[in-house]
Amino acid sequence: MLDELETLYRAKLPEFRRVAAAIAGDRELGRDAVQEAFASAVRRRRDYRGSGTLEAWIWRIVVNAARDARRRRPDASASEEPATNGHAPLLPLDLLTERQREIVFLHYYADLDYAAIADALAISSGTVGATLNAARRTLRQALEEVQT
Amino acid sequence: MNEAQLLDELVGRFEEPADWDDVLRRAGARRLPRRRLVLTAAVVVAALAVGPALGVLLTRDRGPRLPSGADRSRIAVVLSPVTRRVLLEVAPWKGHDGFCYLVVPVRAGCVPRAHNTVVFKPPLFGWSFDKRIVSGQATTLSGAHVPLTVKHFGGRIDATFFLARSRLVPRLLHSVTLRDARGRVVVRLR
Repeated sequence: MLDELETLYRAKLPEFRRVAAAIAGDRELGRDAVQEAFASAVRRRRDYRGSGTLEAWIWRIVVNAARDARRRRPDASASEEPATNGHAPLLPLDLLTERQREIVFLHYYADLDYAAIADALAISSGTVGATLNAARRTLRQALEEVQT
Repeated sequence: MNEAQLLDELVGRFEEPADWDDVLRRAGARRLPRRRLVLTAAVVVAALAVGPALGVLLTRDRGPRLPSGADRSRIAVVLSPVTRRVLLEVAPWKGHDGFCYLVVPVRAGCVPRAHNTVVFKPPLFGWSFDKRIVSGQATTLSGAHVPLTVKHFGGRIDATFFLARSRLVPRLLHSVTLRDARGRVVVRLR
């Protein structure tokens, strides 16, 4: 099991780090979150029951570690709601909810399909598809407005 | 700008090398260096493999020997045609009308002369005092015929011995057929 974890770590480290950095909102926090996530997986490796893929199990831990890192940031303002606060957002991504952002990051940075994202976030594939479409639509509109 | 460009700008690609040892340190997991691990595994495997074998060699019973009643000045032997190792030792029985035998390395005894034919298994081995016997074969349960080594010793032994060259045969044995020089059945044992 330890060997499988190491293999996965070495094979997909850039993807894990990029997604974690995007969720945590900081490159260094993302890097640290991945290290912590794998350390946690090593400690808890006997908890893995094999009901899903090992990679999905790891993704769940990485996403949780990145969320925790984001919440521990001094300027943390994580919210399930878009971060508009009545003002125009600084970045189009601020228009997305936390879940929408996570799904976008997992799909774009890690190239995970709907099923894999669903496993990683413990939601249904249908929810992934609908959420991703909504997020893209929002981003596209925001980008068009910025360009016009 | 499109979504892809936006996301590329948000978080650039990571190029830093992996640091698995840091993961293990954080996990509090200890891992033996690979070379030490291989060496340890090799020692364990060697101990497991050699230990029992050494124990058997040091403590094993050497098995039966030709009985003390055998006249060791007149020992006759049957050798394996393949390995040239001794399969059977036979010698006259001192003070008796009969012989002593040793089927290496499992069975030994002394028997008086009689008119019956005797077969033991395993390994498949037997004798007969019928001098007509010159060949024999075992038949397995699957119907296969396996030739037996047949040897007559004269003099004070004066008996014909037969044995299988393979130890697999007796487990599947159906019958033993002993024939004379014309191929006629002299004895059939089931």
